[in-house]
Amino acid sequence: MKTEETTQVHGIQRWRFALVLLAFAALMGVIFARLIMLHTVEQSFLSWEGEKRSVRSETQYASRGMITDRYGQPLAVSTPVTNLWVNPRQVSDFDGLARVARELGYHPEKLVGDVTKAARQGRAFMYLKRQADPALTEKVMAHKVKGVHGEDDFRRFYPAAEVTAQTVGIVNIDGQGQEGVELAFDQYLHGKDGKRSIVQDASANVIKQLSVESVVEAGKDLQLTIDLRLQYLAYRELKAAVQTHNAKAGSAVMLDAKTGEILAMVSQPSYNPNNRASLKPAHMRNRVVTDLVEPGSTIKPFTVAAALESGKYTPDTVIDTSPGIIRVGWKNISDHRDYGLLDVTGVITKSSNVGTTLISRELGAQSMWEFLTSAGFGQSTMTGFPGEAVGQLPYPEEMKDVTLATVSYGYGLAVSPLQLAEAYTSFVDGCRKPAIMLLNQEGQDCVPVMSSESARQVLDMMETVVSAKGTGRRAAVEGYRVGGKTGTAHKVGRRGYEEDEYTAAFAGVAPLTDPELVLVVVVDQPQGKEYYGGEVAAPVFSRIMQQALRLRQVIPDKPAENQILHLAGRGQ
Amino acid sequence: MKLLQALLWLSVIATALVQVLAVQWHRDLMQEWQQTDQLRQTLRQEYSRLVLEKSTLTAHGRIDAEARRRLNMKDPDHTQVFQE
Repeated sequence: MKTEETTQVHGIQRWRFALVLLAFAALMGVIFARLIMLHTVEQSFLSWEGEKRSVRSETQYASRGMITDRYGQPLAVSTPVTNLWVNPRQVSDFDGLARVARELGYHPEKLVGDVTKAARQGRAFMYLKRQADPALTEKVMAHKVKGVHGEDDFRRFYPAAEVTAQTVGIVNIDGQGQEGVELAFDQYLHGKDGKRSIVQDASANVIKQLSVESVVEAGKDLQLTIDLRLQYLAYRELKAAVQTHNAKAGSAVMLDAKTGEILAMVSQPSYNPNNRASLKPAHMRNRVVTDLVEPGSTIKPFTVAAALESGKYTPDTVIDTSPGIIRVGWKNISDHRDYGLLDVTGVITKSSNVGTTLISRELGAQSMWEFLTSAGFGQSTMTGFPGEAVGQLPYPEEMKDVTLATVSYGYGLAVSPLQLAEAYTSFVDGCRKPAIMLLNQEGQDCVPVMSSESARQVLDMMETVVSAKGTGRRAAVEGYRVGGKTGTAHKVGRRGYEEDEYTAAFAGVAPLTDPELVLVVVVDQPQGKEYYGGEVAAPVFSRIMQQALRLRQVIPDKPAENQILHLAGRGQ
Repeated sequence: MKLLQALLWLSVIATALVQVLAVQWHRDLMQEWQQTDQLRQTLRQEYSRLVLEKSTLTAHGRIDAEARRRLNMKDPDHTQVFQE
């Protein structure tokens, strides 16, 4: 009995043991099979999915180079900011998101609604705010809302704002140059963005750098020839004049008379490049470089210089301009009044159209054209500035009697203010210095235009323009000998020259003993009683020049006429 | 033969451990680099802020006004200019 029971128990035990063993073996088999499946068949899919969650391809933005003036004063600076973005699929804390919205000044419910909608559409990226400043970023990040991230970026600031706006130009929100120097030297300033792939943990910390496609290279700094002090005062005086005369626009450009370096270049109206909302295309134009104007009488010194160079005239050659009117072809060319007998100097002093007409007739089209071309008229200024205008000058074959006469006093050809200033550098040693914009730039050699004797004679003639008997007496600068020429040109309208729309200009050189600066001032469409170059542009020239010479510590070269009187007055 | 096998096993284990150490080292360096990079970014921010501040404070118009107002400076009269 007992033995039978034992055997029975034994039988059941063995059977049960085998069953359990089998069951475990089967389970093991299933696990093994799954493991093999995961490691072979599904391996590629799974590792890709895994990487998608932790590996990120990241762009590192290069910092854009700084633009400075000739003394290193910043004109455009890039400062680090943060692009705030959200991954809608990661957001679960909607109260937190609402707090973030309030921090950014958005409507909380609207943002939460937008984010939930984006999450439903399966989107994983949405900008919250681009180029947020560091203080704001810190506040937003302090809420520690899951799914809200920050990405490093740069924002461009223009410390001199509207004073240098058209010259320096502007970049768009993606940091690409759109205007001015920013556009012309975009590649140089931009540098190279970096690209790399990295492994991140859940809180977006970089754990591992897998590969680097390109290393980030910072943009290089650019130094302009602009002197911000001169730029500032030129801007201030030009703006005041444009406002006083209720003019449509204005521009001024100052060159170093010895090197052709652009020291100041301003346009009106201007804009603030730090405030994108107020941008107007018309205000963004650098009128000094891109706008063409008829130079009017400011070209007369060149007509006279050509006359001196021909050897047919000296400053004392007498020209009979009576009766103050002359008929050329179909056109009557007249002076303000009958000046009678004028010497060549007098033609410049009084700005006699009849005088230059007679001179140009004597010289002929070919030699006039050759002379003006060597002075740079009808050509490009070659500074590389975007939208640079090419001047217009009729060919000698086109210069029949009428055109030849009008060109001699500044009509029928077009120049940019920069081109006119560049041409005026020829009166310094008789050699034209091509305008340059970048410091330490290899300048082109100067172009010989006239003998230094003729240049000196024309400078002396231009000094009489700012004397008490000249048309530009309001351009005089106390303590310095200056020379220049006024210009008033009728504007071209739809039906030829407009009767009551003018461009007032003044171009001049100072100090005459050893010229350092060339300044051209152009005021477009001054309204009101005053519209002559001598009334509108000359005072601006005087004010800018006065301060510029003082700032550059140029030694006064004009002895004070009433010095003793001054001292006597002081003693009382 | 046995000895060679044992040696091989040992070296396998040793290199495996070194690998673990190397990965850890890489991560430490990575973190250090990231922190330094962060610092660089902060310093850049500070620098550009200071550059902007300096250019605002030294603006020609401001210096001109301050010189006149605070230091009572004025444009020299023609007779006051020293000439050699």
